[in-house]
Amino acid sequence: MAKKAKSKRRNWRSSRRPLWQSALLYAIVVLWCFIVLFPFYWLGTTSVKRPIDVSRGPKYIPYRDFQPIPDHWDEMFGSQRESTERHFRNSLVSAIGSTILSVIIGAMAGYGLSRFRYFWGRLGWDNDNIAFWIISQRFLPPAIFIVPFLLLYNFFGLVDTYPGLILAYTMFNIPFAVWIMRDFFDGLPVDLEESARVDGATRWQAFMRIVLPLSAPGLVAVAIFSFIFAWNEYLFALMLTNYQAITMPVLIAGQNNTRGIEWWFISALTLMAVVPVIIMGLLLERFITRGLTAGAVKG
Amino acid sequence: MAASASSMSTVREDRIMKRVFLSPAVVILLALSIFPLLWSLGISFTDMQRGGSTIARQAAAEGIESGVGFLGLGFELTGRNYERLLGDTRLHSTVRNTMIYVFFGVCIQYIIGLGLATVLNQPFRGRNIVRVIFLMPMMMTPVAAAYTGRMFFDSNPLRSPLAHFLREAGKAIGLERGISVPWFTDLSWAPVAILIIDAWQWIPFMTLILLAGMQAIPEDIYEAARVDGANVMQIFARVTLPILLPISLTVILIRGLEIFKIIDVIVVTTGGGPGSATESLTLYIFEQALSNGNYGYASAIAYVLLVLVIIFATIFLATGRRLGGLRAD
Repeated sequence: MAKKAKSKRRNWRSSRRPLWQSALLYAIVVLWCFIVLFPFYWLGTTSVKRPIDVSRGPKYIPYRDFQPIPDHWDEMFGSQRESTERHFRNSLVSAIGSTILSVIIGAMAGYGLSRFRYFWGRLGWDNDNIAFWIISQRFLPPAIFIVPFLLLYNFFGLVDTYPGLILAYTMFNIPFAVWIMRDFFDGLPVDLEESARVDGATRWQAFMRIVLPLSAPGLVAVAIFSFIFAWNEYLFALMLTNYQAITMPVLIAGQNNTRGIEWWFISALTLMAVVPVIIMGLLLERFITRGLTAGAVKG
Repeated sequence: MAASASSMSTVREDRIMKRVFLSPAVVILLALSIFPLLWSLGISFTDMQRGGSTIARQAAAEGIESGVGFLGLGFELTGRNYERLLGDTRLHSTVRNTMIYVFFGVCIQYIIGLGLATVLNQPFRGRNIVRVIFLMPMMMTPVAAAYTGRMFFDSNPLRSPLAHFLREAGKAIGLERGISVPWFTDLSWAPVAILIIDAWQWIPFMTLILLAGMQAIPEDIYEAARVDGANVMQIFARVTLPILLPISLTVILIRGLEIFKIIDVIVVTTGGGPGSATESLTLYIFEQALSNGNYGYASAIAYVLLVLVIIFATIFLATGRRLGGLRAD
């Protein structure tokens, strides 16, 4: 890795780009950064604007174009506190719960598919077929689950509960988790496990004490993806909750109807839902890249 | 002796453990994915509605005791839902809309994503920070991205910075009243707005994976092409693109399949309107199931969506296999 970076840097010095190419490059970079960042900036400023500044704007720069006020944030953590906290907690619990389950189940299945040879005689499926079947579940349109899930969840009393949401999100996350973890374990040498097993460790002990600690990057990647998916999921949260377990996306989407369009409040709420995930994502960016490119790029 | 005994027991242990490792995932997928899948196929052949079936209700009204079961059991089978599909013009427009989202969405996102990946593949100062910034939209809650989009695509230049910008830009090029785009109220602009919001959010995904693909191309290949006198464009067209072909097909497939599911952005921005100009299949299914309670019909439409998805995926996997790069294992 270090070697690669070094050679790139040398390359940058030795092969001088023509000036116009550099100019074009930076222009594109700056333009795209602007396209990406400006909406976030706009959310941030809107959340501290007076309603009049929102509707009779557009006002761009705080203190120059408009006087920022903390009222909407105060409202969110003041009079609306109970609601904000409950929805945030719901998102957090369902996301963390399904993340933990997805990581455990995904790692186990990924390990199984990487280390054992399966053969499902009746279907004639080997490991690759099973893995393909599992990942293909990820791409089924969720719409097809709407009716059966409604009926099942009503029957089992899972509507509007944490276990209900956690179960649904775990189901959606497992395929990807298995896929990434299988790829990860494939790249991990078997020698260590084998020597541990010669020393008398059981398969499970070898998995828990040797394989998992070495797989931290893969596990982190799976955890981030599962968490972000569950945190952002809208359709099933809308469908399977009515009050107690409503998550942030449903709360935000519902602002439309319940309060009229109060952009300032929506912006504050949106930032509240988005910023924690983005900070987490940016801190763990390299794991994301790694997870996304697992299986896709063979370097 | 001891060694062989222990290896005997490890073999036996492994025979059990291999099931232990794989079973939880398989059981969950069978219970929560395959079972609902087959079940909704069954439901699509009934006239099940919220609270029972119409036939059962009629029977009850006439005082006839009929075997109404729950969970879709005890319903009479009927092909009526599938007949109804053919005459449902709203369905046809949602299918068309969904295809438009998938086709144009994938094209826009791939082209811009490829362009940005090419840029990020160049060495320049601050590249690592820029790469991280480029990722941000991907992590945003789609509902939130949709609301942000709605603020920007507001046609009132007093509220939306984009409308403001377009008005000023229009004036600057000599149009008296500037440019004004009726984003969400016009039949043909509304899908464009939704495409842009989705693209803003998911171009980073394309960029990220295509960039990883580009970085995996060894430097010597470029070196060799340069020695042969190829210019930048030729290298891009003859070297980079062909090598990226398998990974391109993969990302296009993944994004295409994801766009088939689009619902949140539409719910928040247009709610499917004006008319049903922006309604996607998923939204229509949701409305049929949740608002109208037509479980049988909603399931039938869901199967239409599934068939479209399978056709799309099969075409891509077949193309990929023919081109010999796509890992379909």
